[in-house]
Amino acid sequence: MLEWLFRSDFDGVTTAAIWSIAAVFVTTITLFVYTLGLRWVTIVGARRRTQFVAHWRGVFAAATLSEEDASSIALPHFGRKQRSDLLEEWNRARAAVDGAAAENLIFLGERLALPAITTDMLGSRRLKSRILAIQTLGNLRDLPSQPAIRELVTHDNTALSITAAIALVQICPDQAVQLLIPMIEKRSDWPRNRVSIFLHIAGSERISEPMYRAIRSADNQGKSLLLKFACQVETNVLDALVEDLIRESNDAGVLNAALKLVSGHSDVPRIAALIRHKTWFVRVQAARVLGRVGQPEHLALLESMLHDDEWWVRYRAAQAIASLPFLGPNKLRQLQNRQSDPFAADILQQAYAEVGLA
Amino acid sequence: MTAEQIVNSGQWVFLAYFVGINTGYLLQNIVAAHGIRKYLQTADQFEAESVFSALDIPISLVIPAYNESASIVTSVKAMLQLEYPAFELVVVNDGSTDNTLEKLIEEFGMRRFPEAYRARVPCAAVRGVYRSMHFSNLRVVDKENGGSKADASNAGINACRYPLVCVVDADSILQPDSLRRVVRPFLEDPTTVAVGGTVRIANGCTVRRGFLEKIGLPTSFLPLVQVVEYLRAFLFGRMGWSPINALLIISGAFGVFHKETLVEVGGYNPQAVGEDMELVLRMHRLMKEKRRPYRITFVPDPVCWTDAPASLYDLKGQRVRWQHGLGQALFLNRSLMFNPRGGTVSWVSIPFYLVFELMGPVIEVAGYLFILTCAIMGWLAWPESLLFLALAIGLGVLLSTSAIMLEELSFHMYPRTRDLMLLYFIAIIENFGFRQLTAIWRLQGLFRWLRGGKHEWQTISRSANLADES
Repeated sequence: MLEWLFRSDFDGVTTAAIWSIAAVFVTTITLFVYTLGLRWVTIVGARRRTQFVAHWRGVFAAATLSEEDASSIALPHFGRKQRSDLLEEWNRARAAVDGAAAENLIFLGERLALPAITTDMLGSRRLKSRILAIQTLGNLRDLPSQPAIRELVTHDNTALSITAAIALVQICPDQAVQLLIPMIEKRSDWPRNRVSIFLHIAGSERISEPMYRAIRSADNQGKSLLLKFACQVETNVLDALVEDLIRESNDAGVLNAALKLVSGHSDVPRIAALIRHKTWFVRVQAARVLGRVGQPEHLALLESMLHDDEWWVRYRAAQAIASLPFLGPNKLRQLQNRQSDPFAADILQQAYAEVGLA
Repeated sequence: MTAEQIVNSGQWVFLAYFVGINTGYLLQNIVAAHGIRKYLQTADQFEAESVFSALDIPISLVIPAYNESASIVTSVKAMLQLEYPAFELVVVNDGSTDNTLEKLIEEFGMRRFPEAYRARVPCAAVRGVYRSMHFSNLRVVDKENGGSKADASNAGINACRYPLVCVVDADSILQPDSLRRVVRPFLEDPTTVAVGGTVRIANGCTVRRGFLEKIGLPTSFLPLVQVVEYLRAFLFGRMGWSPINALLIISGAFGVFHKETLVEVGGYNPQAVGEDMELVLRMHRLMKEKRRPYRITFVPDPVCWTDAPASLYDLKGQRVRWQHGLGQALFLNRSLMFNPRGGTVSWVSIPFYLVFELMGPVIEVAGYLFILTCAIMGWLAWPESLLFLALAIGLGVLLSTSAIMLEELSFHMYPRTRDLMLLYFIAIIENFGFRQLTAIWRLQGLFRWLRGGKHEWQTISRSANLADES
């Protein structure tokens, strides 16, 4: 076989096969060795990391529990390669505490030169390092890094920009909300739960007014989007805003989002009128609200919705009827018995059964 | 044409085919490696902030069940404990002939409920809907047997109330945070209509009360080989197509769909043998016909663990069915092929599946026969014949090696070095017999599709993993 392999008079196809097999063999061995190397690095790295993390956890715990500042805590040495582990641990500790404990950790972070380290990391080519750096600067409330973070808010990369937005709110909340709230409707790529995070950090008092202005000035699509976060706004501002929008708008998206936020006795006649809206999901929301704030005169309207083409409208209307406080079990039964439409009777039966089961 | 010319041309054809298919796979590998790296860079951060989940989208889990009395209670109990703020479970009893329904009624206090059920996607008649007295988010739809998982899934979809629908096999073992992981693409991109997750082999793992307690490798050969196969199929087979929006399969064992889109495309096709693939292809087709922007995505996180067939009989049945389903799904959606508006699906992934996945077993079996015949007839020297076989085997080993490397780079689920070496050993020996056997089964599947074989519920012998604890 070996003798055959070292012949020199192969035809084209055999030569191609030999070269292919040689390439496959070399690549396979390379990948195999690389994977084993990775495994070795992982095992050794994990062992070292466990020791490193255990050590630093103790330091951070001491800082958070310290009744005075953290200046007396001895800081172990750490190498350049351990920076990421240190930052991750510091961020984890920092995210878990507030008040004096947080201040102690920030002080400790400054002693560890974290602002300088992370500012350096902002220019890294690795996305993960940059994100970690931004998070750390936010948790440090590092004011000097504000211009750099502010610039990153407009970055094309979603993860970078939203992390920068959260950090900016931590660093300078007043200025941040003025910048970020109008950006929400333009940055449709920002994950909603992250937007919710920075609004939560800024606090309802701080976001209410800019949010109100942003919603009022946005187009219908923007209004619908911003209203999804409006539950974090102060109640009095929210109620006034919702009432205005329900009265003024005829856009299905805006009405849908606004009706979801109705909490008290809003403009009931206007809401009642919306049960004739051409878009089914607006009718669904109107029925839901009427079930909560409706009066006896709205019963006929809700009853008419039991014949709607859309299942969800019938369902919500039936639920609304079943939850009306002024209807007793006898009246509910009478209402069911007078339904000649089987769809209406079925959906009422379901809604009643749900109430009975609850 | 002389015998020598025929042999020479044949050699070129088979060599080109093998090099072509493996180049395709290696390209997928590169795309997958890039995609996984990108995904993992932000995964930690996403996980850390998942506590703010008020904006997570509610999910309906549909669990089609046919004669699952041995494990249904454990499965449902485990799924009720998933970490997610808002979800409901809809178990569909597809006319089971055992006591699946009775067990559910007894264990979860199910009570018949007058639900105004609406049939938005077609399925066999529903006999009744039950609600749990203990868990407000658990319902059971009891229906006539529709003869397929697709039919049962459709009944569940009709009963769902939430905007996302997750169809799960009754014998699937889900990671507690699986829903949080698969919902991520829907949060990040509102045009997402479907998301699949990585399915792994549960044989060899320790399962307690429906949850995975310890990850391990199976001890018998057939499930072990399938561990390597699943690494290949999911880590680069799926992850390689997802970044270019050309994913054609979301595993029936675990997939999440935007409900309105699912209803709009008509739900699962009860006549389809590979109903999971057929649905995804139909979604691609209809979205493209309507010129609507959409994404069908894959998350590489291992979110679901499932029992692999441990007997040759079960495995053969599965592979024949898969190939049959592949042919049927491609045929039913043939208008997608080379469609000017079809993008990467029409011009890259479907042609690839047609040439290399559907026709693959034909070429592979023909290749082996050709080489053997040539060697026996003396048209090709034995060393040359062995060289071609070695190339085929070498490329197979290379693909498995790269899949194992991707696993090591990313999720690192088998931490014992002994397990890693065992996977390499399997990656080599699967090429001696097992691979050829599966090629023959796939060929049978292809013939079954061409003959117009019928679809029915497929049940495999189950390991003790999910059996209800008495």
